[in-house]
Amino acid sequence: MAGIADFLDSLIGGFDLICFALAIGGLLWGLFVLRPWQARDGYQYNSALLDTAVALIYKGAFFLALAQAFKIVLKIWLMTAVLEQWPFPEFAQTTQFIGGIVRTLLTLFFAVYCYRYLAKHPFSKQCWVNSGFAAIPMIVSGAWLVHAAGRFDNQVMLMSLTVGHQLAAAAWIGGVFQLINLWFLRSGQKVPANLWPLLLKRFSLFGLSAVGMILVSGLPIALQYIDSWDGLIGTGYGNLLMVKVVLLALALGFAWLNKTAVARYLQYGNGDALTRSVPYYIEAEALILMILLFTAASLASQPPAIDIPTLTATWQEVLNTFSPQMPQTSSPTHTALIAGEAGRVAIVGQVPSLAATEWSNYNHNIAGIFITTMSFFAMLSYLKFARENKVLALSKYWPLGFVGLGIFLFFRSDAETWPLGPVGFWESTFNNGEVLQHRIATLLVFVLGVFELMARKNQDPQSKLPYVFPVLSAFGGLMLLTHSHVGFQAKSAFLIQVGHTTMGIFSLILACGRWLELKLDNPGKTIAGFISVAALFQIGIILMFYREPLY
Amino acid sequence: MKIRLMIALLSITWVGQAFAHAVVTEDSLKTTPIHAHQATQVELSFNSKIERGLSQIFLVSKGDKHTLLTIAEGHKQGQILINVPSLEPGDYALRLKVFAADGHLTEDVLHFTVAK
Repeated sequence: MAGIADFLDSLIGGFDLICFALAIGGLLWGLFVLRPWQARDGYQYNSALLDTAVALIYKGAFFLALAQAFKIVLKIWLMTAVLEQWPFPEFAQTTQFIGGIVRTLLTLFFAVYCYRYLAKHPFSKQCWVNSGFAAIPMIVSGAWLVHAAGRFDNQVMLMSLTVGHQLAAAAWIGGVFQLINLWFLRSGQKVPANLWPLLLKRFSLFGLSAVGMILVSGLPIALQYIDSWDGLIGTGYGNLLMVKVVLLALALGFAWLNKTAVARYLQYGNGDALTRSVPYYIEAEALILMILLFTAASLASQPPAIDIPTLTATWQEVLNTFSPQMPQTSSPTHTALIAGEAGRVAIVGQVPSLAATEWSNYNHNIAGIFITTMSFFAMLSYLKFARENKVLALSKYWPLGFVGLGIFLFFRSDAETWPLGPVGFWESTFNNGEVLQHRIATLLVFVLGVFELMARKNQDPQSKLPYVFPVLSAFGGLMLLTHSHVGFQAKSAFLIQVGHTTMGIFSLILACGRWLELKLDNPGKTIAGFISVAALFQIGIILMFYREPLY
Repeated sequence: MKIRLMIALLSITWVGQAFAHAVVTEDSLKTTPIHAHQATQVELSFNSKIERGLSQIFLVSKGDKHTLLTIAEGHKQGQILINVPSLEPGDYALRLKVFAADGHLTEDVLHFTVAK
């Protein structure tokens, strides 16, 4: 059960940051963007706007308190499982336990204040200011729970900078959540239409300041933890930092499109883009920013590059992981794989298993061939001549490949269990958490193909079926970006990680592209759709050339 | 290996131990080899503060036989001292399960050889 606890532990960090952004970002939105106590410019806020804006704040805070408390429970669970002993009373004396309890209580205090007072007096400046003061102890208390708290050098500076970094990120991301809320109200005609451009304009400046703060606080932290170019390129910490930078750039790209649309509206009165594309760019931006938060949480579990100079890969080694090579299309026998397992997993006298490495290479490479072929047909389906040709028009059913891939994974993923191994299907599924999760994942790939096929055959424009694909793709990207690899030395683990994080970014592009394809009108629709399947093609290429270190 | 592929293909779960934050930055095994039939104290330095009461160090001998070792506070920040008993010549490992002050539980293995 330690695996499940560890899995939840890795996700709860990102969930915690999202709740923090909802609560604190929403509060900053109210204080600096909405400013409900000011009735100026002839714009009137109604209770629908303020009620939902405040609800996002206190609900975010309540969930944050819950997440913080759950984090403590997970630590207890994880320690009990890994150390095989009850962690008390020792755990009760740690900073993590005491700090976690204090932060939970302070968050609850903030949430209750917003629920009891701010929600009832949303036009009161005093209530907004008081809420701000109520939030400060909770924000500060988070400093003892970041990994800077365990450092020996520049501890206070790093803790302060990390809290500042979190605050700036919350301001931006919480504001984006509030904009989505505003759009829902606007499209449901629950708020005056002119509020949309007004608040978009106000948020442009606010968001820009928040991004500036993110960079100002983040740069010194990066310089403290990464002391060389090799550290940036050749470690897990540096790699995830680069992923964060790429995601930030993608999100800023959407922010720039929004800002341009607002400027065009203000200058020429052309508000078409404000309602036909900006809301969907904001949704894509929100998706990227949420994944970025999970990546940030994952970064905190990586050893800083400065601490592992002897385990750092060179840029040539990193580049080599992407070098094209012939896919492995023959697999070692199942007997050879099983024979090598005992030596491979031994701690003392470990014998690397060539069969295990080749088994894995084969699985990855064949999956790559599946995905490359699927995405090739997917790209073909966007071309006019293919749509007009009766045979080539069938290329729009490319998601059928996922169904085939699901079947392939079912047979290949757990070699020691049915149908290839001696352990029975039900016995392995319910007695082994790892196998259970593999079964679920295999089913998901299969179901993903089925859902997307159904979506493409469905003629109902109101159907929600098409949205399953981008949501699951984004989730796949999240998994690729937030998890490390086990059973390897740190350098080998990193060299595997670098390919997987790259695929994670492409998964996110796949998700955003497909989302925008479903939402936008042409020509944006087609462009987004093509970018989406081109990203899938890149994932296929990476998988097709995948080579695992011998271990 | 199978896990990585599953994740690469839109998996929803993960069962591995995260490669966590606390790492060994110095160990006396590199500078002071362990001699046969002689109890030794091994020094390990970490990049982070360690919660000693929530950490375990095992001596792993041939056949992956585990023996829990006692840990003492080191002379420097982030340092711990491990009492390794008298050993026969051969290959061994120290298996670490360490809870760092930043809340991350790390597992690591340090291999060493006891020469004749």
